[in-house]
Amino acid sequence: MAIVLSIDNLSKKYGSLKAVDNLSLQVEEGSIYGLLGPNGSGKTTTLGMVLDVIRPSSGSFSWFGDGISKATKHRVGAILETPNFYPYLTAKRNLQVIADNKGANHDNIDKMLDLVGLGTRSHTTYKGYSLGMKQRLALAAAMLNDPEVLVLDEPTNGLDPQGIAEVRDLILRIASQGKTIILASHLLDEVEKVCTHVAVLRSGKLVTNGPVGNIVAAKEQLIISAEELAPVLQLLERLPYIAQFAQEKDYIILTLQEGYSSIDLNRDMFAQGIVLSQIVTRRKSLEKQFLEIIKP
Amino acid sequence: MDLLRTEFRKILPYRTFWFIMGIYVLLMVLILYTSTSVEINGQALGNETYQFPELWMRLTYVAHFFNLLLGILVIVLVTDEYSYRTLRQQVIDGLSRTEVVLSKFYVVLGLATFSTLFLLVLGLYLGLVYSKDTSATAIFSQIDYLPYYFVQAIAYMTLAVLFAFLIRKSGLTIIAFIAYTKIVEPIIHYNLPDNIDKYFPMKALDSLTPMPGRDLWGQVAGPFEQLSPAMATLPSVVFIGLFLFLSYLVLKLRDL
Repeated sequence: MAIVLSIDNLSKKYGSLKAVDNLSLQVEEGSIYGLLGPNGSGKTTTLGMVLDVIRPSSGSFSWFGDGISKATKHRVGAILETPNFYPYLTAKRNLQVIADNKGANHDNIDKMLDLVGLGTRSHTTYKGYSLGMKQRLALAAAMLNDPEVLVLDEPTNGLDPQGIAEVRDLILRIASQGKTIILASHLLDEVEKVCTHVAVLRSGKLVTNGPVGNIVAAKEQLIISAEELAPVLQLLERLPYIAQFAQEKDYIILTLQEGYSSIDLNRDMFAQGIVLSQIVTRRKSLEKQFLEIIKP
Repeated sequence: MDLLRTEFRKILPYRTFWFIMGIYVLLMVLILYTSTSVEINGQALGNETYQFPELWMRLTYVAHFFNLLLGILVIVLVTDEYSYRTLRQQVIDGLSRTEVVLSKFYVVLGLATFSTLFLLVLGLYLGLVYSKDTSATAIFSQIDYLPYYFVQAIAYMTLAVLFAFLIRKSGLTIIAFIAYTKIVEPIIHYNLPDNIDKYFPMKALDSLTPMPGRDLWGQVAGPFEQLSPAMATLPSVVFIGLFLFLSYLVLKLRDL
């Protein structure tokens, strides 16, 4: 897979504060890459730097293997923070201005407005739009010249549940056309539902990254109990695929190494004459993991 | 020129733009109209003021006070891009910093062209109505004050562009712009000999539209040194280039 965006040791300092600290990551073509982190973790600063509006203090990045230029910018559609439009212009006029700047075909404007469901409101001035309409207009603007990559910064921020569902649906639809999407969010649920890859940021530092599935699956837990816990604990110490275990009152919580499941454990226990009275697989929610990951 | 077309898309539906332009046109017409009816020693000044060819000098001198209004208009247009965050979006969408500065400079050129043409029309009208001598030589012999005014208007507005990129907030920028042009530089002039401060931006720019009857005033209050409009043109053009370059540097060195 080709690398769309490569970030190499990127840092941004504001005085003594490191907003982004030696961040390195790579976004592969066709992925939906989530930048996940609490507010102030450096997501927007990172996007600002790779979009050429914030000067990095050090480090480098490249789009499609090249430095940032008019040509690479035209291959990327991006919105940073809140939707940015001229409040006194109509939606259509706003998109005309953006089409000029992107060198996009003006014929796309109506098509995009229809796609985000604003076709009938295209002559309303932007300041008369609801927040949901503004977010959707921003999506239309980002997609105006049919870019290969979409960069979205908190695209569902401030939307009602229906709006959130619509925007997510739209993102998945766009991704299904083979486009790469980079999505900054502080909502785990959003990243889990939408993204294929995730990078978790905390105070500007990369905490972990990889395919969403991996990060979730690696953290499976088992809860077991038996009449007598002592022989169980003895056996657990000898089994090679037990990553860690701990006794809690009348049950034991344990994690297995990758590639093993509760079936292996149950079989080995039985082979040693131990009958488990309970065996529960608990997939920790991403939420819980996230809070664990970002614990300072 | 694509940049200018895009700027027009933004400006034409903008009510604030038309409001400030309306004030500009209205005030100019009003001040020129009323000054024709001012009577001194029982004689209407209009006949005196609007004689070709001196009319052009008087007209451009009056007009130069209104550069402030054009400057404020430009400040509003540039600082808007910050408050709407559209400056960021333009750069994200593909404009370079150079193009961002250029697009505003094209607006400046457009406004300067408009105000110069407006003066031309106004001057021709007033002159043809009030001037005794309406021969071609009388009309056109001193019309070079118009191109001087054109350069001056561009320079004033380019300085406004620089202030706006530097300060970003419209109110603060307007205050700083007025303070610099009307207070700070005059104070500096006051403390420097004329042969040095005549090259300072505001003084060089003001030299492009000299005060009518200045020579007479010089005889009363002692001679003071000022560049002739022709001599002030080159320094003014250099200042325009400098203001543009500094605007570019501000964008280049700072986060948007």
